[in-house]
Amino acid sequence: MSGYSIETTHLTRKFGAFTAVDGIDVKVAAGEVFGFLGANGAGKTTAIRMLCGLLVPTSGSGTVAGFDIIRESAQIRTRIGYMSQKFSLYPDLTVAQNLKLYGRLYGLGKADLKNRIQSMSDFLGLGPLLDKVTGELPWGWQQRLSLACANLHSPKILFLDEPTGSVDPVSRRNFWDLIHQLSGQGTTVFITSHYMDEVEYCHRLSIMIDGRIAAMGTPRALKTEHACASIHELFLKLMETNSLPATRSAP
Amino acid sequence: MNLRRLLAISRKEIRHILRDWQTLAVVLVMPVMMMFLYGYALNADAKDIPVMIEAPDLGPEVRTLIDKIDASQMFKVAGVIPVVDDAGELFKLYGIHALFRFPPGFSADLRRSGGAHAQVLIDGSDPNIGTMIRNAAEPMLLGATLQVMNIRQPKVLDLRSLVLYNPDQRSALFFVPGLMALILLMISALLTSIAITREKELGTMGQMLVSPLRPLEIIAGKIIPYIFLATLDGLLILVVGYLAFGVRIAGNPWLLGACSLVYVFTALSIGLMISTIAKRQQHAMFIALGATLMPTVLLSGFIFPVASMPIFLRTVSQVIPATYFLEIVRGIILKGVGLDVLWKPVAILAGEGALLTAISLRKFKVKL
Amino acid sequence: MVLAVDIRNLSKDHAGEKALRGLTVGVPEPCLFGIIGADGAGKSTLMTILATLWDADQGEAKVLGRDLRKDFQSLRRDIGYMPQRFSLYQDLSVMENLDFFADIFGVTGTLKAKRKKELLDFAALTPFTRRRAGQLSGGMKQKLALACTLVHEPKLLLLDEPTVGVDPVARRDFWIMLKSLRARGITLIVSTPYMDEAALCDELILLHEGSILARGKPSQLIAAYPYRLYRVDADADVPTLTYPASKAPPEGFTLIYPSSGALHAAEPKAEKRDPFNRLRASVPHSAAVTLIQPALEDCFFALLTGAGKSTQP
Repeated sequence: MSGYSIETTHLTRKFGAFTAVDGIDVKVAAGEVFGFLGANGAGKTTAIRMLCGLLVPTSGSGTVAGFDIIRESAQIRTRIGYMSQKFSLYPDLTVAQNLKLYGRLYGLGKADLKNRIQSMSDFLGLGPLLDKVTGELPWGWQQRLSLACANLHSPKILFLDEPTGSVDPVSRRNFWDLIHQLSGQGTTVFITSHYMDEVEYCHRLSIMIDGRIAAMGTPRALKTEHACASIHELFLKLMETNSLPATRSAP
Repeated sequence: MNLRRLLAISRKEIRHILRDWQTLAVVLVMPVMMMFLYGYALNADAKDIPVMIEAPDLGPEVRTLIDKIDASQMFKVAGVIPVVDDAGELFKLYGIHALFRFPPGFSADLRRSGGAHAQVLIDGSDPNIGTMIRNAAEPMLLGATLQVMNIRQPKVLDLRSLVLYNPDQRSALFFVPGLMALILLMISALLTSIAITREKELGTMGQMLVSPLRPLEIIAGKIIPYIFLATLDGLLILVVGYLAFGVRIAGNPWLLGACSLVYVFTALSIGLMISTIAKRQQHAMFIALGATLMPTVLLSGFIFPVASMPIFLRTVSQVIPATYFLEIVRGIILKGVGLDVLWKPVAILAGEGALLTAISLRKFKVKL
Repeated sequence: MVLAVDIRNLSKDHAGEKALRGLTVGVPEPCLFGIIGADGAGKSTLMTILATLWDADQGEAKVLGRDLRKDFQSLRRDIGYMPQRFSLYQDLSVMENLDFFADIFGVTGTLKAKRKKELLDFAALTPFTRRRAGQLSGGMKQKLALACTLVHEPKLLLLDEPTVGVDPVARRDFWIMLKSLRARGITLIVSTPYMDEAALCDELILLHEGSILARGKPSQLIAAYPYRLYRVDADADVPTLTYPASKAPPEGFTLIYPSSGALHAAEPKAEKRDPFNRLRASVPHSAAVTLIQPALEDCFFALLTGAGKSTQP
């Protein structure tokens, strides 16, 4: 067993003739904030679904939290938290009801559940909102609640798929504060985003183009290596030199 | 009202329908499936119901009666037992639906005094079968007994009933009109209300509103393809009804078609009404099922006769479009009557449709 | 000056909250007009009202010289509206979607063919006319949606967060399209959570709790930045600097927050002491401090947090 939280070897997934993920090798250490970047349709979501054990790879292998993503997906699922923009909270339930529901889905006991809800709502400042109906909260708070639900069972690894879409700069800054705090407590954070300014706060990141990883490293090393002032610039540069983005489509 | 815009909506709706092939398959297969379900599985024509006989003495009279019971279409004698201790046990053990008991001395009583006592125990757990046995047992036994005793029935009243329109009392003739009412309503009310609320849910309704489209164009455009779909299903039911169950249309088929279109119009107006209330497809579905399909099945006279309902439910059934449509379809298919007889239910359907459409158009919001 | 949109004292309650509180704003014609603001500030409410889909509770609005409430039917011919997270008809092809919008707006015949060709070229979708909208990538979907709202050549285009969930390349292409529409004389009102996009607008308003907190050209907003701004870079051996929002700023500073891979620290212009020493006292691993020009994002932070304003998380 490797010491990595996430480790993949030539992970590949094809849909018919279309190769969505084309032999990616990724290693993410425990407690690391890893930015998983790429254009729309580059294969990020497919890769994440394989890592979460929701999709079987066509070839290659991988482990998440030390478990095999093909044979041990059940063990993986109890050790990861997943949050995406499309990840749906139940809008007609209150904040507390959503938290309780997710806690029970992950099999938390009664006392445990109470403690975790208490500490998550303290951590994320949800305390005053527990009795509010989720659907009526501003989007930024719903995102926070999603994070709380994904994190309720103290997962070792958090997969965050575009968690900050449609969120203003100040709220995003606060969201990233939380991500760094979780990382400081040892949680591995695997995050995708289209905001190139915020991914500069990742410890390491990769940029995926047409199913392959075109660049990987710390933001600083990547900028130095490609002589770019920002990740934004790097992203545009890589996209222009490496791909014909319009010919691909998301499966 | 601009025809070009209306057709643009219809064209789009047809594409939605054709591309959602799963729903389309359900819409086309379901009526046929339901017909075969009603036609075979839920066959109401009871035959060979298993019964038993308790007869401690098997005199010739009793034996003849047993033969008569067994020879009838309805019953099949599963066994003859001299003495039954626990009748309930017998019902459970052999799955019989009735036990005919001829007490000791039945034959002797009959011979001596010209009258005797017998008993039938009937399984009431299935009320349909129970009622059938009850209605059939007495006349059958009475007739058989008289025959055994060689008594010619005194001719006080010679009542001969002759069933018209459905002389064999075949249930196909009964469920084909009912299914037509049900299926046409389902397509018209359920599918259209879902199709309209789907646009609300997707946010594309807002997009259509922010255009020169008028409510009538949106509504008519979305509805027209479903009229065709309903027509197709109506034809399907009639064709399968004829080919598989031999149901012929006694009256004018064109009149049947025209009346069906009136009914479809009424049903569509219900669908519209639902779509002005419901915000999500799920709401629309539940309202459509709860407010239209259930009452149609239960209260239109499709399954339970309207005449035997309490006053309140009878009033409700007077409002349900299917009640009138059943009257029309039975009239045309079975009796072969024309508009001179059926004008009233047709007028009521048209009136209901016009009223609901007017309300829906009024309620249809040009803003969100 | 002709105003494409002239709003006076507009108020609207939505879901029990005051979404707009007496908003007054004029948008010149033509203009690429940006709306920024925290989540729940009233951006979408304003867009939906301008799109004639909601009525305001109070106030008046003239759009393209016509009364928004009375003349909404005629306005609908001249407005293009792309709602938030707009998704078109996923089961229809690119061409079928375009056809549909052309038909309902009464664009027909040779004009329709010509417009469709132009728009497909414009959106770089010509090779994909037969592909279902649901099979397009996020960026292409948004371009198709834009093409569909342009098919009737609206004079005013309302785009509610059109680039959310779109990758940086597609986002850049999208804004090149918006710029060229502006150059053709169309007025565009665009809301966005991206400050780099906001910087491309002719004029901006910053909404906060249903009121306008700031308005002006991006250059004016930047010029009005009230602080002196420093960029704090990290030692070579530290990946990135962070500074928790909950922790008070270093002594003498009003604001400090991560930005563009470094920390941005703002102090009042009257502050005289050496910034580096004060920063190093509370930011470990701070290697270099440089005086920089603020960007719009810095203005956003200054306006929303500096004035003691609360914001969403």
